[in-house]
Amino acid sequence: MRLIAKARASDDPIDEPLRALDWWYPEDELGEPKMEAVLAEINGWKTELQSNAEGILFRKDREGRHHHGPQVADYNELKADGSTACGAWIYSGVFNRDGVNKANTRQSKDYLGHGWGFSWPSDRRIIYNRASAKPNGEPWSERKKLVWWESEKWTGIDVPDFKPTKHPDYRPEGNESGLDGHRGDAPFILHEDGLGWMYVPKDLQDGPFPTHFEPLESPVRNSLYSRDTNPVVNWFTRAENRFAPPGDPHFPYVLTTYRLTEHHTAGGMTRFLSHLSELQPEMFVEMSPELATELKINNSDYVCLVSLRGAIEARALVSRRIRPMKLNGKTVHQVAIPFHFGAAGPLRGNAANNLVAISGEPNVTIMETKALTCNIIPGRLPRGAAFLDWIERYAPQSGQPANLHPEQPPLGAPSGGKFSRIRGNERSAG
Amino acid sequence: MIGEGIESTNQRRHSYVGDRIEVGFFTDPTVCIGCKACEVACKEWNQVPDDGFTWSGNSYDHTGHLGASTWRHVLFLEQDRRKGDQITGSMGGLSPQSATVSPTQTNPQSDDPFRWVFVSDVCKHCEEAGCLEACPTGSIVRTEVGSVLVQNDVCNGCGYCVVSCPFGVIDRRPAPLADAGGAFKCTFCYDRQKSGLVPACAKVCPTESIVFGRLDDLRARGADRVQHLQQSGYDDAQLYDPQETSVRGLHAFFLILGEPEAYGLPPKPQIPTIYLKSAWTSAIATAVATLIVVFAAFFFFG
Repeated sequence: MRLIAKARASDDPIDEPLRALDWWYPEDELGEPKMEAVLAEINGWKTELQSNAEGILFRKDREGRHHHGPQVADYNELKADGSTACGAWIYSGVFNRDGVNKANTRQSKDYLGHGWGFSWPSDRRIIYNRASAKPNGEPWSERKKLVWWESEKWTGIDVPDFKPTKHPDYRPEGNESGLDGHRGDAPFILHEDGLGWMYVPKDLQDGPFPTHFEPLESPVRNSLYSRDTNPVVNWFTRAENRFAPPGDPHFPYVLTTYRLTEHHTAGGMTRFLSHLSELQPEMFVEMSPELATELKINNSDYVCLVSLRGAIEARALVSRRIRPMKLNGKTVHQVAIPFHFGAAGPLRGNAANNLVAISGEPNVTIMETKALTCNIIPGRLPRGAAFLDWIERYAPQSGQPANLHPEQPPLGAPSGGKFSRIRGNERSAG
Repeated sequence: MIGEGIESTNQRRHSYVGDRIEVGFFTDPTVCIGCKACEVACKEWNQVPDDGFTWSGNSYDHTGHLGASTWRHVLFLEQDRRKGDQITGSMGGLSPQSATVSPTQTNPQSDDPFRWVFVSDVCKHCEEAGCLEACPTGSIVRTEVGSVLVQNDVCNGCGYCVVSCPFGVIDRRPAPLADAGGAFKCTFCYDRQKSGLVPACAKVCPTESIVFGRLDDLRARGADRVQHLQQSGYDDAQLYDPQETSVRGLHAFFLILGEPEAYGLPPKPQIPTIYLKSAWTSAIATAVATLIVVFAAFFFFG
């Protein structure tokens, strides 16, 4: 308030936002703004002053004047002409005319949890709930029904996430805007045509039908096709991002990464919390007793994991939960590492990201961190200059091309997938 | 009000303390997922300090055991045994043919049972509690709901309770941790219960492997669960609630698969005070015998 008073006293244009600030919130007994007044503003109201109308939750502002009209029921009542105001449209409906702060309710009325908190927007619990009903509006399943067409409107357990009066047979003419452009049997409201896009003639680089290619790094060849890897994958070929060819004897073991319950992603949020960190305090690698015996590794020993991208050290956790696989008659061992550890914080452990490669799944460009190959060297990891000799011995790559995998495009070539197609188009256009 | 009108006793508000109703924990490892949320919630609510960042090498269990700063402990047990009617076998032995074997059949050549069992251990709040009987200061008391509570402002840190617990639950907190020297263990969240709230561990348990509620309800529920599991192929399911020994039953009892020893639970727990009579008898007999010898010495050599 002091800042606003100062801004009012000045005529500097830089103070204009403060001069225009509408700090209307009624105050509680401690002189703090009432939090529910903020929530009422987030929900939104009609701006026309109607001092006697129903549905006004806070009739007076902090100076005792009327401030706004009734609350809006939900975002469908919001208008772009200034007659309504709203703090966040997706929360519109959280604190509307009935005066119930729905974010603070804890009484479930049904199995979708209506009555327990507020689910934006409009307290819908399941997105695309139109898909629970057949094109003609009857539920597919009596047991799992969500919304259905009944006596000329949509009704049901959930709140329909489309206009509740849209007839199942509705067909757009082609000149409508917004959701009116969707057919009455099109549930996927966030897609421009309202359809599910299982199979579409554009945008998807791969799919939709399942098939099998080996991971970019694999100890075996593909049994299904003559080609080992997905032909439209992005390799991102770089000298720092090499891939081992299939069956490379330098990297005989399958490596996978996973998450622990106690930590979050790379551990940045959890490695510094003592009550979580003490439950999983150090980097480890899980391996089968068979592999541990073969490599003369005891449980809790330090071992080094090495891939073409780098090397880390970890404690060996020998468990029968990990079993050797038999692939094409050959025994292949698998090891597994969590990836929550790193250099900072009270915990010890190397980062799993030092081992993984950068690649891109064709549709969404997610990299392949769950299937790699590696080698295991018992003992601690050398530091400093000794590390460079060590890694050249176990992952030799000096003087070699960036594309070691036979199906990988060379450095600078189109790397496959979405990106190569764009580059290809540019090239043909030019 | 939060928690009203909810059926699960783990989420519902209650008035057990005011109504003086005996309560308990029923812990069921067959639905435990090993998330350790109970351990974290316990430490957060009760402001128990962290007590070491030591990697154990023992499965995912880096907590080890209950103690002064560990009031919930999720035990991870890896056993070469079958869990219920699970299909077992090494991956190498799994041929395309054996993959179509029905769940009741297993391939004898690849039969290689293995199971990973999680169970959340806690103070048992014994019907006859060794710690309570041993406490010379009156610091350890029985509450209205039947739980055993250490009043840390009364405890003088003598440690008699530590050796008297048949389960090794209670312990004195070492320096440099906060409140070092005093004895600590699970409070059954007595402070929360007084306010109608459920103990923190049960409140957060996502699978309700820890169930909080009236002890009589829980015992009936536990018996039903064992029967159901045994009918579903868990031949080795049993309740651990020793009512025949001197602890005379537990307020926090467990369903276990296999023998209690594998879970660090004594098969026949006894409280040390049952030896009081024989201890005093032999002490008095020794004193009398010593006096006789002394008098006899005066008589013969005097």
